[in-house]
Amino acid sequence: MAESETQLKAWMVGGLNGDERSHAALLGALVPLLHSFYRRRMHDAEGDVDDLVQETLISVHTRRASYDRNRPFTAWLYAVARYRLVDHYRRRKLSVSVEDVEDILAIEGFEEQVTASMDVDNLLNTLSPKQARAISDTHLDGMSIAEAAAGAGIGESDVKISVHRGLKAIASRVRGTRQ
Amino acid sequence: MNTQQLIESLSRDVPRVTRHAPEKRVGFGIIAGCLVTLVLVTTVLGIRPDLQVALYGFSFWMKWAYAIALGVAAAYAVTRLARPLPGSLGSLWLLAVPVSILAGIGISELVRTPSDRWLAMWLGQSWMICPWLVLTLAAPIFVGLLWSFRKLAPTRLRAAGAAAGLASGAWAATLYCLHCPETSALFVLTWYSLGITLATGAGAVLGPRLLRW
Repeated sequence: MAESETQLKAWMVGGLNGDERSHAALLGALVPLLHSFYRRRMHDAEGDVDDLVQETLISVHTRRASYDRNRPFTAWLYAVARYRLVDHYRRRKLSVSVEDVEDILAIEGFEEQVTASMDVDNLLNTLSPKQARAISDTHLDGMSIAEAAAGAGIGESDVKISVHRGLKAIASRVRGTRQ
Repeated sequence: MNTQQLIESLSRDVPRVTRHAPEKRVGFGIIAGCLVTLVLVTTVLGIRPDLQVALYGFSFWMKWAYAIALGVAAAYAVTRLARPLPGSLGSLWLLAVPVSILAGIGISELVRTPSDRWLAMWLGQSWMICPWLVLTLAAPIFVGLLWSFRKLAPTRLRAAGAAAGLASGAWAATLYCLHCPETSALFVLTWYSLGITLATGAGAVLGPRLLRW
């Protein structure tokens, strides 16, 4: 299962603080994310996807100073990944100007975000209301466990268990539909 | 190389990155470039002989305030555009503030000066070379900023190049003030700004080529 924003960001910040193991864990966790990001956009060139994933890992490494710790990590990551894709097209000398490609990708990204949030809503609807609310509070709205517990009028450990079980159910459902 | 080996080799080199690293890097690039430009101004052009006197006059500080205000705003824009998600650059309309203030001073100059001397005041002694000198002096600062960008991640290369050009032009103009004896606000508004605009345009042209990563 893909790592959460919180986990990725924690690894990124660890790496920025000089922790080699965090950095390695981050780069390892990015491989499947980047794979699916590029595979969705390049249907016919599997070899290029691998190259792009590696190039993006190198960019994440060399350009990590440009990440702002106060902002979401995945947004930064996908901005870097989009740039690598634009640069890839440019090297192939496609007859699209850089600005155009950026616009295309920006719009494409927007559509994807909308469908992604619709997908998330569909998945949450398959869970019990308690689990759905716990996940949406803590993972989508960014509340702390304590805030979510107070809001739903249940205990903190109850929130944690609901999140854990809910995510597990969603994960198995997603894996099931992909196969 | 397979991906696992790549990750291992990248993870062997993980230096600490401080908070606000982009700001520090951009500041360092500008300062390093300014030192080179300062050497050029003092050795090739020469400091204006009456600088001691000029420091007590209005026009020197007017020129400095104008150029420095543009330089600070442009440096801020560079730090924004050096990140992959630059966010809104709406606050750049503040660039209009120093320009309007200088234009206001220029109008009051015109009012106080007889109209047959307007042209001489506007063209000064050096209107033909001033923009080109500002553009030339901007080059070392632009190179300094290219160094800054090496560990940063601009995604809007033309805008980032233009902002870098604007910053180098404005800081070059700031140092050029040490040489230039012109005193008129209209002169500065036209010919300094033209030099800074040329540097901005050059940055916009070069950005997509030089800032690729």
